[in-house]
Amino acid sequence: MKKTQILKYLILLVCVPAAVLLGALVFDDRKYIFVSACVAVLSCVPFFMSFEGKKTSTKRLVLLAVMVAFSVAGRYIFAFLPHFKPVTAIVVITGIYLGSEIGFLCGALSALISGFIFGLGPWTPFQMFAWGLIGLLSALLSAILKKNKIALCTFGALSGVLYSLLLDVVSTLWYDGAFNLSRYLALFVTALPVTAVYAVSNVIFLFLLAKPMGEKLERIKIKYGL
Amino acid sequence: MNKNGIAFSRFHPVSLFCYFLLLLLFTVFTQNPVLLTLALLGALLFNAATNTARQTLADIKFYVPMFLLVALVNPLFSHSGATPLFFMNDNPVTLEAVLCGVNIAVQLCAVMLACKAFSKVMESDKLLALFGKVSPKLAVVLSMALRFIPLLKRKWGEISEAQKALGYFREESVFSRLASYARVFSALVTWALENAVDTSASMSARGYELAGKKHFSLFRFTRGDGIMLALTVALSAVTLAGFLLGKADFAFYPRVSTVNTDIFSIITYAAFGILSLLPFIFEVKEVLKWKYLRSKI
Amino acid sequence: MEILALKDLSFRYPTEEKDTLSHVSLAIEEGEFCVLCGGSGCGKTTLMKLIKRELAPHGALSGEIRFCGKKQSELSSRESAAGIGYVLQNPEAQVITDKVWHELSFGLENLGYDADFIRLRIGEMANYFGIAHIFREGTAHLSGGQKQLLSLAAVMAMSPKLLLLDEPTSQLDPIAASDFIATLKKINRELGTTVIIAEHRLEELFPIADKVAFMEQGTLLSFGTPREVCRELAAHKISLGFPTAARIWQKLGGGGEAPLTVREGRKFLAEFCAKNAPISQKNDKEKTETSKKTLGGTPALTLSGVYFRYEKNTPDILRGATLDLREGEFFCLLGANGAGKTTVLRASAGLLKPYRGKVQTHGKRAVMLPQNVQNVFIKNTVREDIEDMLATRGASKEEIPTKTAEIAEKLGVSHLLEKHPYDVSGGEAQKCALAKVLAAAPQILLLDEPTKAIDPAAKRELARIIRELCAEGTAVLAVTHDVEFAAENADRCALFFDGEILAPAAPQAFFDANNFYTTAASRISRGILENAVTEADIVRLAGGVK
Repeated sequence: MKKTQILKYLILLVCVPAAVLLGALVFDDRKYIFVSACVAVLSCVPFFMSFEGKKTSTKRLVLLAVMVAFSVAGRYIFAFLPHFKPVTAIVVITGIYLGSEIGFLCGALSALISGFIFGLGPWTPFQMFAWGLIGLLSALLSAILKKNKIALCTFGALSGVLYSLLLDVVSTLWYDGAFNLSRYLALFVTALPVTAVYAVSNVIFLFLLAKPMGEKLERIKIKYGL
Repeated sequence: MNKNGIAFSRFHPVSLFCYFLLLLLFTVFTQNPVLLTLALLGALLFNAATNTARQTLADIKFYVPMFLLVALVNPLFSHSGATPLFFMNDNPVTLEAVLCGVNIAVQLCAVMLACKAFSKVMESDKLLALFGKVSPKLAVVLSMALRFIPLLKRKWGEISEAQKALGYFREESVFSRLASYARVFSALVTWALENAVDTSASMSARGYELAGKKHFSLFRFTRGDGIMLALTVALSAVTLAGFLLGKADFAFYPRVSTVNTDIFSIITYAAFGILSLLPFIFEVKEVLKWKYLRSKI
Repeated sequence: MEILALKDLSFRYPTEEKDTLSHVSLAIEEGEFCVLCGGSGCGKTTLMKLIKRELAPHGALSGEIRFCGKKQSELSSRESAAGIGYVLQNPEAQVITDKVWHELSFGLENLGYDADFIRLRIGEMANYFGIAHIFREGTAHLSGGQKQLLSLAAVMAMSPKLLLLDEPTSQLDPIAASDFIATLKKINRELGTTVIIAEHRLEELFPIADKVAFMEQGTLLSFGTPREVCRELAAHKISLGFPTAARIWQKLGGGGEAPLTVREGRKFLAEFCAKNAPISQKNDKEKTETSKKTLGGTPALTLSGVYFRYEKNTPDILRGATLDLREGEFFCLLGANGAGKTTVLRASAGLLKPYRGKVQTHGKRAVMLPQNVQNVFIKNTVREDIEDMLATRGASKEEIPTKTAEIAEKLGVSHLLEKHPYDVSGGEAQKCALAKVLAAAPQILLLDEPTKAIDPAAKRELARIIRELCAEGTAVLAVTHDVEFAAENADRCALFFDGEILAPAAPQAFFDANNFYTTAASRISRGILENAVTEADIVRLAGGVK
């Protein structure tokens, strides 16, 4: 792995969660919510920068756009099931088959475009970060996730929980400006049904979509030499 | 809403972005009830002026319960404060916590409504123009994705109809429906990926791989945009000065502090108030102008 | 000056055993309008892509391509990108960005022009191509014709010297296609841009072309002016896709200059008939027999006074549509774009519920093949798709392979069974889709624009299949723009207009009664021969006495 790559992972997997924790424990002020939003945005920056700077094949670029479009259009398509959104599943699939960078960007840009369409809000940076992270993790675990369906579904369920946990942190911060454990737990418990739906929908979507979508992506990669 | 669209949205994306960024920064960083009320007022008036009746109704249904929930929940969790009102489960419910809850609710609604205003004013074209300045490559990806989304929705309809006409689509139970949907979804994926390859050919044919690209957007930075930006910066500078001088300080615990009413504080409030009300002022100005013009015809 | 010269060009794809192109040499002068034609799979697209370096496929290439006197490999990437414009077939896929103005500026941004230059240039383009009224709109909701025009404008914004177009009108309806070709002519005549267009609908292209290149199986069979090519190929008996006038000329012996337009065709036919006595209607035994054929068979699909609208506040699309389709009949419904012809099919397939009137299928199964046949496929190979359909229809495990083989045999797609549905050509894809539809064992087959995007050979093949199905008793209802196809093959035709199905009649009676909405053959023979609506009619009647 190149140095920049190591740096990238370092920022994402160590610095950002550390900052979140540190902020939660140390800051006792309203500033915290802003700091954490900054952290979320900043964590996306290295990816955006390295993507901007290097040569990406035009085909990969268009594939990224298509996957982002899928994750957003999926919200309309499966609208008949409340809270059943294929976004996470598609981000995971993108990560597995198109690599960490495209995976991360797919997650982050999906959140951004959702914001364009459904309205940007204070949650947007956190969504970008959460989905980006999920895309990245699935790329890192792609070897296992490709082969093992149980691992894939477990991963899907966990990423649903992860997403929920992260966004609950944000909500808690809104109430208190600092991290209040009892409130966080209360919120987490009230949000439990929604979290469960996230997890279950991720599992179902991954179960249904991972194989066909994966096959198709592999086919395109071979047919058009990616 | 006036018939010519939102007046404020005619400014350059850079001016608009700076405006909302500064407004949100101040709103997020302060606990001062006067400033927060002003922020809420500005966002509220602007949204009310640009909403349709139906949107306003939907907003009321969403924001009022949220406001109440946030305001009421705080005293249940936060037990600091020197003035207990009564006890619940051996925990004190304090006056400070109640007021603080209301204040948080005001702040939350102000931020949400300001974000809503931002979304109204910044259409995708403007966001892409902004994004394109920083990262042209990602701007192209976003632009393509924005085109693909309606395309996918339409194609989804076409494929599911074709499958229904073949007697494939089953909707008896949620599960069979889900399975049918997944089938069509997978066909949609094939179509989209094959199309993507053609799209990339089209991009290459039009020189996307050339070096020395420039970013273009339809928006031009005019004098009016400059004035608006300068105004934003000036008002923000005054507000910031007030912040640094401690004029915006406010605390709820242990006791609710009193609102500053010295001359500097008033100036700070005024500057921030104008800042927050700017979009609404432009909207009103435009409506009046059209009324005037029409009366002359 | 020669703008493009190909010298002894051969090309082979890595996975193929045969050359896709072999020893192609041709030279195009600056400002010429050149039509490249030939059946699907003749190597047109490969040739075009090789000329545009950015799109050149991988494989073994020999020979030489020169653009403006320079070898292709010596061109700078800027010269190649800006100098040669390329418009693809699929309107859906080649639009890149979300807004019309952005699409126009895309190429100019890549060339690194200043904002002020771009602003002016895209304004110019929007005006010249008549798309100023949609300048700020999104691209996703444009019609196919608008999308193709936009792609052309976006390519022209880069002011290329040479414009390559790969079947740009194949996905468009006839009116949009005519508009597109008229714009191309305007570009060529007014701006002097050299145009090379690959097409198989040549009716409107031959009259405006300076050069025609005809390809077959990777070789250049004939190259010259349209009349030269007509004369040369007359000897080879190749006429598929040529303008009707030229085909009639060829079949009637082909002396003198080939006529290319309806006007020239009329002149030729009048002169020909003056010399040779044609058969009059009274003596035309064959004609009287066919027109006497009465409506046989039991009713298959009956629409009686059907009214339908999509939403409560929108106008009626069907306004008392009435239709009586019989077993074994091939019925063509013609009409303008957006009139609601497809709605008739949807209602017949049971996808829509009319709010007044009745749709009866008399216990028969109606299955619809959509306009875009790719919508039918959901599996990774044609075989899986057909088998899946059979299984859904309740065929047992043992009979599935034999039935699949049977259907594939019938449609001539046995060699395509293992292929991915997106890897076959337009005509092949349609046959594969039909195979899947037939696996559903339809008694009523509904076809939406079945001749769109397929070449003349595939069209003939389609007509053969429909004939066979009708002979087995299947009732076939097709909505189409293709008047020639309807005239040659339908048992009955009708016009769809204002929500109603008007004047169902046998094609001869139907087209003879129409003055404008009729076949080129009918327009050529009007007043010269009686009751001739197809090319075959004219050839039979005019050739007559001999």
